[in-house]
Parts: sequence; C-alpha cells; structure tokens
Amino acid sequence: MEENQKGKLISRQQEDEKGSIGEEQVWSWGAGTDGQLGTGRLRDEYLPQSLHLPSLSSTGPISMLACGGAHVVALTSGGKVLTWGRGTSGQLGHGEMINSLSPKPVECLGNDFITQVSAGWSHSGFVSDAGCAFTCGDGSFGQLGHGDYRSHCSPIKVSYFVNKHAQQIACGMRHSLVLLTDCPGDQVYGFGAGKRGQLGISINNIKSINLPQVTCGFRDIKITAISANGDHSAAISADGQLYTWGRGFGGTSDSHCPQLVASSLCCSKASLGWNHALVLSGDGEVLMLGGTHHGVLSDPKKMNPPKHLSANSGESLLERVPSPDGMKVVQIAAGAEHSALVTDDGVIKTWGWGEHGQLGLGNTCDQTKPQTVHLDREYPQKDTTLRVYCGSGFTYAIRSPRLLTQT
Amino acid sequence: MSYDDVEIEDMEWNEELQAYTYPCPCGDLFQITKEELKLGEEIARCPSCSLYITVIYNAEDFADQKSNKNLNPQKQTVAVA
Ligand SMILES: [Zn+2]
Repeated sequence: MEENQKGKLISRQQEDEKGSIGEEQVWSWGAGTDGQLGTGRLRDEYLPQSLHLPSLSSTGPISMLACGGAHVVALTSGGKVLTWGRGTSGQLGHGEMINSLSPKPVECLGNDFITQVSAGWSHSGFVSDAGCAFTCGDGSFGQLGHGDYRSHCSPIKVSYFVNKHAQQIACGMRHSLVLLTDCPGDQVYGFGAGKRGQLGISINNIKSINLPQVTCGFRDIKITAISANGDHSAAISADGQLYTWGRGFGGTSDSHCPQLVASSLCCSKASLGWNHALVLSGDGEVLMLGGTHHGVLSDPKKMNPPKHLSANSGESLLERVPSPDGMKVVQIAAGAEHSALVTDDGVIKTWGWGEHGQLGLGNTCDQTKPQTVHLDREYPQKDTTLRVYCGSGFTYAIRSPRLLTQT
Repeated sequence: MSYDDVEIEDMEWNEELQAYTYPCPCGDLFQITKEELKLGEEIARCPSCSLYITVIYNAEDFADQKSNKNLNPQKQTVAVA
C-alpha cells in the first residue's frame, strides 16, 4: 500500500523548477461510501470517474498515492501531504476525527518535506526528508509506535527514530513497519498487532507492541523496500530477493520471522493484499502468492503451472499471472482482494473481487484473469505515464505528462 | 463461503454500533452483537457487501447473566478469601 518513488520525485522537482508540467489526470472507482473516491459523492462507482480536485491540483503534481481501508494519502512533488476519505479514527491527520469528501492538506506536516507516505486500515504513516517518521489515526494496537495505545488525529513524530534516519514506512491493517537508512543489521522495525507474526520480532504469540522493535533475520541483508497490508509484511533486498512474514498465504502457516520466498526470482516490487501478494519480476512478469483464497483472485485451472517452488517446502506457491497480450508489466498494485497492473504500453488491467466495482469494468463481477480498464480519455502512450493504486475496495489511476527527464 | 475465521479477542467492541467488529476487505466492518453471541450465532456480517466471517468464541462467555457472574474474577477472589 505504499511505494517509494524518490527517483520520480526528484525528476519531477527539477521539472517544477522549470515551470508547468501540464495537466495531470486522476481517476477513481470502487467502494465510495466514506468519500475515499474523491468524487464528492458517497456511493460506489463501477467505472473510472475523472476527478476534479482543485485543492490537489493547485498543490502540484502527485508523486505518489497511498490508499488504505477507506482513506487516501496523496504526496505532492513539493513534499506536501493531502488526505481524504474516512477520518473517524484520525487517520486523515486533519486534527479532527471526521471524514473528508475532498483532499485537504495535513497542516501539521507543513514545515516538513515529506518523501514517502503509507495508508493502513485506519492509520497513516509519513516519512520526511530529514528521516523522521510520523503516524496518526487508530492506535489501539500500538500501530502508531508512540509507546501507548492512544489514537491521534494529527501526525506525531515517532520519537523512537529521532536519532535515526527513517526511509520508508508501511502501514498494514493493525501494524506498521519502518525501514531505516544506513543502519545495517537493524534496518527494519515493526510495531502494532503481532499475533500473526507480522512484526517479525521473533517473540512468538506476541499480541501487540506499542514501541518499534527490530525485525529479525536481516542482519547481513540490505533491504531496499518494505510493504505491509492486512496481517502481512514483506521486504525486498538490494539483490532482488523477496521476504515475507506474518499471516501465511494460501492456507500455509503464519511466519514469525521473514522467510525467503523464491531465491531464483529477481523481484523488483511487491504489493500485498489481505490474502495475496503480487510480485513484479525484473523482466516485467507478474507472479502471485496465495491467490486462491476466497476463490476470486485466480482460477487454478486457468493459471500457468507454478513457476517456482518456495525456498521452504510446505510454503505457498508463486503462480504466474497470465501475461496480458504478452506485454511487459511496469507497475503492480494489490487491494485487499483485488489486483491491478499497468503494462508498458500504458494499459491498466484489473482482476479479483469486484463486488464494489473496484475492478472498474462497469459491473460487480469477479475476474480471475486481468481485464482491461478503459479510461475516458486516451492519450498516445509515449507522451504520458500511467500509475495505479489500490485501497481495500477501491482503485485510483493517475495519468501524468511524460517528462523529458524520463526516457 | 466464510471469508475468514476470526477469534472474538481479535474483534473490537464498537460503542456506536453496539457490536463487535472486524475489518471487511470492502472497507466496512463485519459486525455481531452481544445478543447474537448469546443466542449462539457464529456469523458476523458486513452491512455493505455479501461477505461474512465465522466468529470463534466460547459460548459460555456470552451465555447469560448467571454464568457471566460465575466468571466474575471478583467473585472468585471472595471465594478464595
Ligand atoms: Zn464488506
């Protein structure tokens, strides 16, 4: 539910200094009863809705979105944060516990340049360029990391990391992970609910913890990305290895320590759902872990044979997602029970659970294979960049003018 | 098909809804009331979608007032004294 786009961010900043970068377009679809679609309406949408968000567009291009249970956190290229959707636990950081139908700035972070954001079920996390981590929202499982179980409606700096340099934060259903820079060995921390092993702190059957604690097993491994969703956690190492811990995929047992998923796979990105994980390989192929849960994310008969066995026997299998028209995939996003991808020719495909229209196909049907989503305006692919983000039961797409700095 | 099996200790008491709740992947909450638990109901439903979960709990913990009193730790303390 989070993604570090620092590279893109920097190139966008350079572009900003030169002047206008043109029009950015945002679409949303799926569950909308808490205002998370930004449409100004409290209803589900089965087709992509083109959004008009003056408060957002006036703040500059969006460098990333993080979509949670029913709220959205947008990060602009200028390091500003706007949030909307469900706010009843304080997850919007607006200083009050109410929903917001349209993007509103998180004023409390106004003096910080934010570089990465994450949205959990009912809490949010922010990391600044100075390496500070901030959290707000529901704290009843210790997922805010402030040493108590209180909720906060404005972002509070996690004091545990004050003399350290936080690089990324990842918020799951009731837990959080933080990745530090330049801290070999003790680089990943977990806090919040830990019953399913999602903190990876090697204390079996710990119910919850309200202060960050080191995730075990990464002493000699350099981690470059972390992600969390549901009761799952994942990390990717500098050499493209994927590790997962927490709730088991596809009916396998929970893991209280990070497990190597498939050593033969070079993984460039991972995105977690509540019962599945999407993995993007270095050559633009998508694989899925645990897709058979709930029976909607994949049809085993239609899937290609499992590509890899996991490192440990008895672990769940990675299945190859049928390649859409043989195209390379450039981006993946997992919702709670649905999935989305972007191909390198600029097409969005979705599959999985569709009851709230979160697949954007104009109906509420489930899909076991990726299906093309039609946005209402098509542009020549060479001029634009398309990104997709999934919340629990909803989806966002952003089309940005392709920058000269991006080749 | 039940979406998941969830232990009652992992559900949260929601004062406003007067129900035990657990996150539903649609964004809403699975809900079950104390009255339903008292009647032996195991299914918590989401008001916004077709999904439901199976709640794992001890029927005696919710059975009725009498057995609740028996579980009251204060009473046990008295008994020990
Ligand atoms: Zn639901």
